[in-house]
Amino acid sequence: MQNEIIFAILALLTIVSSIVMISAHRPIDSALAFIVALICIAALFGLVNATFMFVVQIIIYAGAILSLILFIIMFLNIKDENLPDEKNKNWWLLGTSFIVAPFGLILIDLIIRSDITINRVPAEGFGNIKDVGLTLFSKWVLPFELVSILLLVALVGAVTLAKRES
Amino acid sequence: MLQEYMILSIILFCIGVVGLISRRNIIVIYMSIELLLNAVNLSLVAISADMADASAQVMSIIIIAIAASEAALFMSLFVVLFKKKSSLDANIFDMLGSKR
Repeated sequence: MQNEIIFAILALLTIVSSIVMISAHRPIDSALAFIVALICIAALFGLVNATFMFVVQIIIYAGAILSLILFIIMFLNIKDENLPDEKNKNWWLLGTSFIVAPFGLILIDLIIRSDITINRVPAEGFGNIKDVGLTLFSKWVLPFELVSILLLVALVGAVTLAKRES
Repeated sequence: MLQEYMILSIILFCIGVVGLISRRNIIVIYMSIELLLNAVNLSLVAISADMADASAQVMSIIIIAIAASEAALFMSLFVVLFKKKSSLDANIFDMLGSKR
């Protein structure tokens, strides 16, 4: 019962802050709303005993990626005239949500009708760093190595993109 | 608990798609893409907790690593585009490599 109440509060906070994120005019407002959504998602990870994912979500998403976004927004020194003048923004948002809503409703209906829960009882120490690390380095070694190559490519690409002008 | 998590994940995914389609500010478009990845991560972690198997958590760790590399590329792209056009409007960035 307690878990359901916490889940309801966190879900409401996540949905509201992500709606604020996509509808705010200035990018700094949407970045700050996105931080709230990310921390709520991290708390939702913690609610299902995924402790390592909780830590990773807070350190990498809310810590690294969002502070990079805030840093770039402040570094670019964005004035009001640099922003696109989206006069009909609210109408666009409303129209697009009318287009997207049927797909979401069909998926939600499918999830409610089907019986997908297994409810297997987790073993001792499920979701901590040892469990996740053993799975990562035994079953998922190849994707791990590919991700390291991808990070190297992204590093080189970012440096060449930023240095092209000079 | 799995059904509620899946429903929340679907709602977040739909919000992200709406933001991706209807906004013209590139920073908001980028954050909508991140919201899509987060919705997928949420459903993966919920499935992993329901099946008591850590594989789905490893998948979402890999997704987070991909999102981090994507963030680096997007940020350098923002800096280059803003220096060139001094605007964040996605409608202006239609040159596709031409020297206009």
